[in-house]
Amino acid sequence: MEARAFSPVLKKLIPVLLTIIIVAGLYKFYGAWAYTTKNLAEFFRLTWEHLVLVIISMAAAVIVGVGLGTLMTRKGFDRLSPAIMGVVNVWQSFPSLGVIALAYGFLPILGLSGIGVVPALIALFFNAVAPIVRNTYAGIEAVGSDVIEAATGMGMNPKQILFRIELPNALPVIMGGIRTSTAIIVGTAPLAFLIGGGGLGFWIFTGIALMDMGIMMAGAVPVALIAMIFDFILARLEHIIVSPGIRAEAFQAV
Amino acid sequence: MNIMLKLENVTKIYPGAEHIKAVDELSFDLPEGEICTVVGPSGCGKTTAMKMINRLIPMTSGKIYIDGQNINRLDTIELRRNIGYVIQNIGLFPNMTIAENIAVVPKMKGWDKDRITERAESLLELINLPPEEFMDRYPKELSGGQQQRIGVARAMAVDPPTMLMDEPFGAIDPINREHLQNEFLKIQEKVKKTIVFVTHDIDEAIKMGDKICLLKAGKLVQFAAPETMLTEPANDFVRDFLGGDRTLKRLNLLKLKAAMKPDPPVIMQGESPEKAKAMLTELKVDNLIVVDAEKRLLGYVNHEALEKQADEVGKVTRSTDSFMLASSSLKDGLSEIFTHDLGCLIVVDDDKKVLGILDTEDIREILRR
Repeated sequence: MEARAFSPVLKKLIPVLLTIIIVAGLYKFYGAWAYTTKNLAEFFRLTWEHLVLVIISMAAAVIVGVGLGTLMTRKGFDRLSPAIMGVVNVWQSFPSLGVIALAYGFLPILGLSGIGVVPALIALFFNAVAPIVRNTYAGIEAVGSDVIEAATGMGMNPKQILFRIELPNALPVIMGGIRTSTAIIVGTAPLAFLIGGGGLGFWIFTGIALMDMGIMMAGAVPVALIAMIFDFILARLEHIIVSPGIRAEAFQAV
Repeated sequence: MNIMLKLENVTKIYPGAEHIKAVDELSFDLPEGEICTVVGPSGCGKTTAMKMINRLIPMTSGKIYIDGQNINRLDTIELRRNIGYVIQNIGLFPNMTIAENIAVVPKMKGWDKDRITERAESLLELINLPPEEFMDRYPKELSGGQQQRIGVARAMAVDPPTMLMDEPFGAIDPINREHLQNEFLKIQEKVKKTIVFVTHDIDEAIKMGDKICLLKAGKLVQFAAPETMLTEPANDFVRDFLGGDRTLKRLNLLKLKAAMKPDPPVIMQGESPEKAKAMLTELKVDNLIVVDAEKRLLGYVNHEALEKQADEVGKVTRSTDSFMLASSSLKDGLSEIFTHDLGCLIVVDDDKKVLGILDTEDIREILRR
């Protein structure tokens, strides 16, 4: 009976708070806090590198993913879309580490360096682009044919239909793809260290190599925090830019 | 009368199906302000015919003129913006509010904000949805019937003289459909648009159309006013399509006013009962209609009622429910007569003024014509 007294918000909040307390406790217990405060300058540098990796590869993935996904729905290109979707689907099942390794192995063949920030960015981009392409394509395809017919019949040109009807109505699905991709990128970014991309992966892998939980957690906990912050920002952004008329949770029919 | 829409030998052959003419040499003239219902069995080309008018489907040959202008000489986008378009699945834009949905075409035509808002409000009033309540809502918050009314309002946003409607009430349940049809006819009386209205339902075609365009396998079988088509079907196909009950269908079309006997004998409420008795005997009728000074219906008297002592007819008048508006259909009138086993029905106008009476013999008479 007592459990019922909890509001649903509280019910959701309690496990989150508990996790935070446990993680914070371990963070302190293993000396991650002490390590971080002692190496504050390095912490900021690694965090900065990490954020740069995430934001740049994310921005590129969004631009290319939404662009390609949209292009695949246009007349003339739509014949290619089953083939592209096939590639995208296979691509998405590649393990992230595999993509990093591919960047390391393949770029030198193209005459580029396989080591450094650029290969890391390229690898992260390729890891993230697939869900965005897929969701953009699926989201636009899912816009009702009756809606498109009405728009055409009312005298909208293809550009107006794309920007006023198709993209706004596909937005929840596209944002879903972007959030998935962000999760993938943030989670994969530490691996960038392996090919010299820098970032918080440095502390994580150092910690693992030295079997020092403190150093490892000094890198891992900020990575998790960054993931949560990005997801929160994207959720807020989605709430702002998606029309209330197509938001999943909004309103009951009268 | 000004011909608003003219089709001249319009033909459509779809690529890949060259041996079939989806629409075959279709020609008709539709006067301004009339509704033309396009009807026929499925696959007869009715939707294709309609969509060639706003060039959603390019025609293979022939000419279409709107208000004297060849549509092939007009810019497609501009042509479509000047033709109201309503489809069966409504196709409201879910990401836009009702006001924004209505504003789409006015915005593209560069209207200023105030004018668009004003127009949206007056359109919502026209379709009986209070603007303050509906302007800022989203399509998914509305019922199917409400959405379809918004669809109609949106199509009328820039007050286009012509409209195309593709089975607009097809997805609505029968009770609401009837309601929407009546409401739409009332709106049409005010706005007088020239409308091409596609339907597969012959009853709807008869009810909504000033003209019916009946197609079979892409060919025009008959183009006529509903009354003409019902009384003079061009051939057996038309007769079959109208159905065995086509005489009864005329009942739907005809109004009480057309069939009633006008100016029945009445008595004023202030007259003496003796005069009423004399009239009953003289006219050889059982009942006499009692009216007030403005000729408004009060009830009736008969010999039995007049037995009672009274100084004027009004005091012994019996009230009655057996009256109906002159604008009602004969079908409703006949139904009323049979349901309540009435000898006759009193026909009144909106102010309840007595216009005439109607019995089954009058109905028989008009159907014989």
